[in-house]
Amino acid sequence: MSATIEYTPKDYKSDLKPIWCPGCGDFSVVQAIYRALAAIGRPPHEIAFISGIGCSSRIPGYTTAYGFNSVHGRSLPIAQGIKLANPDLLVLAAGGDGDGFSIGGGHLPHMVRRNMDIAYIVMDNQIYGLTKGQLSPTSQKGRSTCTSRHGSLEAPVNPLLYMLAYGAGFVAQACPTDLAGMAAIIEAAIRYPGFAFVNIQSPCVTYGEESQQLKSLKAISENLETIGHNPADRLAAMDLAQDYGDKLHLGVFYRNPEPPPTYGDLVKERQERLAKDAIPRENILDLFIKK
Amino acid sequence: MTDYSPGSRGMGQGAPTRKDLVFGMAGSGGDGIVSAGDSLLQAAAAEGYHGVMTKSFGSQIRGGESSCRVRISTEPILNPGGNLDVAVALNWEDFLKFGAELPVSGTTVVIYEAATNILPDNIPLVGVTPRQVIAVPIAKMAKDTAGTERAKNTVVLGLIAGWFGIGAVAVMKGIRKKLAKKGDELVEANQRAFDAGRAFALENPLTISMAIVPSETKGAVKLITDGNDMCAAAAIFAGCQFFGGYPITPSTEIMQFFTDRVWGYGGAVLQAEDEIAGIGAAIGASFAGKKSMTATSGPGLSLKTEMMGLASIAELPLVIVDVQRGGPSTGLPTKSEQSDLFAACFSAHGDVIRPVLAPTSVADTFRLTVEAFNIAEYYQTPVLLLSDQEISQRKETLDPIDTSQFVILDRLCPSGPDLKDYKRFKQTENFISPISFPGLAGGTYLASGIEHTENGAPTNSGTVHARMNEKRIRKLDPLKDRKDLFEVLGNPNAPLAMVAWGSVAGVCREALNMALNDGLNVKLMVPYLLYPVAEGAYRDFFASVRKGLIIEQTHLAQFHKLLRMHIDLPAGVRPLARSGANPFLPGEIVAALHNLLSELQRRHEGKLQPQE
Repeated sequence: MSATIEYTPKDYKSDLKPIWCPGCGDFSVVQAIYRALAAIGRPPHEIAFISGIGCSSRIPGYTTAYGFNSVHGRSLPIAQGIKLANPDLLVLAAGGDGDGFSIGGGHLPHMVRRNMDIAYIVMDNQIYGLTKGQLSPTSQKGRSTCTSRHGSLEAPVNPLLYMLAYGAGFVAQACPTDLAGMAAIIEAAIRYPGFAFVNIQSPCVTYGEESQQLKSLKAISENLETIGHNPADRLAAMDLAQDYGDKLHLGVFYRNPEPPPTYGDLVKERQERLAKDAIPRENILDLFIKK
Repeated sequence: MTDYSPGSRGMGQGAPTRKDLVFGMAGSGGDGIVSAGDSLLQAAAAEGYHGVMTKSFGSQIRGGESSCRVRISTEPILNPGGNLDVAVALNWEDFLKFGAELPVSGTTVVIYEAATNILPDNIPLVGVTPRQVIAVPIAKMAKDTAGTERAKNTVVLGLIAGWFGIGAVAVMKGIRKKLAKKGDELVEANQRAFDAGRAFALENPLTISMAIVPSETKGAVKLITDGNDMCAAAAIFAGCQFFGGYPITPSTEIMQFFTDRVWGYGGAVLQAEDEIAGIGAAIGASFAGKKSMTATSGPGLSLKTEMMGLASIAELPLVIVDVQRGGPSTGLPTKSEQSDLFAACFSAHGDVIRPVLAPTSVADTFRLTVEAFNIAEYYQTPVLLLSDQEISQRKETLDPIDTSQFVILDRLCPSGPDLKDYKRFKQTENFISPISFPGLAGGTYLASGIEHTENGAPTNSGTVHARMNEKRIRKLDPLKDRKDLFEVLGNPNAPLAMVAWGSVAGVCREALNMALNDGLNVKLMVPYLLYPVAEGAYRDFFASVRKGLIIEQTHLAQFHKLLRMHIDLPAGVRPLARSGANPFLPGEIVAALHNLLSELQRRHEGKLQPQE
C-alpha cells in the first residue's frame, strides 16, 4: 500500500467510453466509485473489480483497476476466489438486479454467511436493459414489459430485506439523486471490514417507467440519517427495508457495530497455524508410505 | 501353538505355486469387508507384493452391500484382474448383487459363510462349477474367539493367511497398529479370531495349493494410495494453492485432501454453494495469480460448462478434474464409465479447444496431474483431467516416485518491457501472451468473457474475433507433437492393434502381454492426451494396422467416434465398447484379438484363391 501518494477520482477512470445510454444512472454510479476509491487511496493495481453480465456489469472496464467482466450472475464466486487467493487486494463486485438477484441469486446467502471483506454494488433498475427491456426480479408486480405484455404475475424480490435476513453486516441504499451521498456510502461499504452490500436505484432511461426516473425517485426519497434511523438497529433496518418499492430510503440501513472476524482473518489464522506442520511439497508423497 | 515366523507355512497350505491372486469379497455394509481388503493390501505391500484394490458399494448411505477386489502379485500390475481366484461371500444375496464385478470361474476357490445353511454343491452361482467350494462357520468362529461377530473380517484374513500364504505376520501387525488406541483387549480378541481362521485353513487344506510364492522385493518401501488422493497430492506438489468445488461422488476425496492440507502451504479451499460457484472461485483465484483447480463428476461437469468457456476465452490457467461415473444425469454414481469423453472435449459453446488428459492408473495420476498444471499454466488454458471412478477410488501399491524428476512450469508473467503499454492479449509468435495479476503495478487489464482486443477492451469486431479464436486455438498446436503423451507397447509394426485410454488401458496392457505370449503380432496405444486429437500420432500408429480395436467403457463408442472425426481409421479397426459397471477382462480382450486374427487370416486365404 502506498499511503504517501494521493489519488484523485480521475486516476481511477479508464479511457474506455461507456456503452450506456445518455442519462443512464450508471454514469453517476461510476463517478461515485471513482470518488470513493480516491478517498480510500489504494492504487488502482491493488484493486480487483468483478462483474457479471448486463449494462451495469460493464463498469469494471471503465475503471483503471484490474477488472473482470465475467459471465452472467457469477461475479460473487469469482470475487471470492480472488479475495481468498490474495487477501491484500481491495475486491469490489458489481452488477445489475437481474445478474445479482435472479441468475446469481443463489450465491447471495453464501456470500453473506462467509463474510469475506468484499463490497458488492448492485445497480438496480428493475429491468433487463442490455437485452432490451424484459421483466427483472425487482420489476413491480403487474408491470408490462416485452416479456410481460399482460402484466407481471410475480411479486418483486426485496434485495434489502433479503440481505438483512441473510445476516449481512453492512446494508445500504443509494441513488444518483445524491452523488456525494452515494460516494460516501460506497466508501463506507468498502471500508466496512466484511461483506458489504449497496443497492443503488439507478434508473434506466430507455426502458424504465416514468415513476423510476430520477425526478420521481427524488420525490419519494428519504435520508435515513435525517429520519433518525440508528444503523446499529437491525430490526429497525428490516422494518424500513419493507418500504422497498414504495419509498426510497437512502443511507445505511444496517452496519454491524461489532464486526466479527472476516473469512479472510480466519483463513489467515489457519494458514499460519498449519504452516509449521506442512511437509515440503516435494515430499508430499511420503504421506502414502506404508511401513 | 501356531508358529507365526514369516517362513512358517503350515502343512495344509501346500507348496507355494501362484505368482498372482485375485480375491473378491462381498458382504453387507457392517461386515467390514472393505477394511479387510485394506488390511490385506497393506499386509501384501509389507511383504513386498504389488497390489491393487477396488471397492464397490451399493448407493445406500449405510449398510447395503459392499465388496472389494484385491489383486496381489509378485509382478507389477495395472488392473484389478479378471476372474476371481478366490471368492469370499459372507452372504450370497450381497455377493450376487455385484455380478460381473466379481466373476467366479471354474478355477475359483469359493469360501462362504456356513451359517447361510446352503450346501457347497448348492451355492447360487449359475452355470459355473468352481474348483473348490468351502463353507466356513465364519460368524461362529468370530463369536467364539472374539466374543462378537464383528470380528468376521479378521477371521477371513486368517483364512487367507492360512490358505494363500499372505499376511501371516503382517496382517496382525497392521491390525495391532490400527487398534492400538482402542485397548489391548480388542487387539487380543482380533488376534484370536485371526488365529482361528488361519488354523481352520491349515487343518482343511485346499485340494490344489494356491499359496503365493514369496516376493523377492520384501522390505522395499511401498506407497499405498488411491487416485483421488494421488491427484490432490500431485496438485499440491505442482504448486496448486486453491481448490474451489462442491461435493460429488466419486471425486469428493480430492477436496477432502485439500481441506486437510492446503492451508499449510498458504493456500485455501472453498466448498462452494454449487458446482458453478466452485469453478467460479477457482477461476477467480487463477485470475489473482495462483495455481488453481476444481474437481467434479459428470453432473457437476455439465454445470461447470459455461465457466469452462470463460476460462478459455479469458485465457486463465485452470485444472478441472472430472472423475467419471456412469451417466447421463445421476446415472450410476458409484460405478466407473468413460462416457464423459464427449462432454470433456466439447463442453462449452463456441470454438474452443480445451486440452483433455487422462491418467490410466493411480501411479500415473501423479504425472498426469502435474502435466495438467504445466499445460494449464504454460498455455494459459483450462485443462481437463479425465479420471474415472475405478482409478480414483482404487488403491494401488506403488514404488516411490522421485519427485525431483518432474519439471514444474509457471505462467509467463510480464517483465519490465511488457509492462510498458501492457497488452494482456498481445499477439505473439507462439500465441502466448504474458499474463499479469492484480497487485502487479502496470499490469492492469480487463479480463472478460466478451471478445476482446489485444489490450483487453471489449469488442464486437469479427476481424478481432477471428484473430483471437486463432490465437486461443493455435497456441495449443504444439501439444499434438508431445510424443511423451502417447505410449505404444508391443510390436511396433504389428497388423493387429488396440487403442485404450483411462482405466481400461490397464486391462489392455495385461491383455497385450497375454496376446504376445500367445504369439499374436499385436500392439497397444495408450493416449494420455485425448484432446486435441494428435492426428499424426494416430496416423503413425495405424500405418501398419489391418485390424484393431478401440476399447472403451462407453455405449456410444465415443473415443472411436472422436478419432474418426479427425482421422481415417483403417477399415478393420472397430470399437469394442460397452457401458460402465461391466468391466473389461483381459481374457475377453485377448479372445477378441484372436477373432481379429482369424478374420485377417481368412482374408489372406481368400486372396490366395486362384482368380477366375
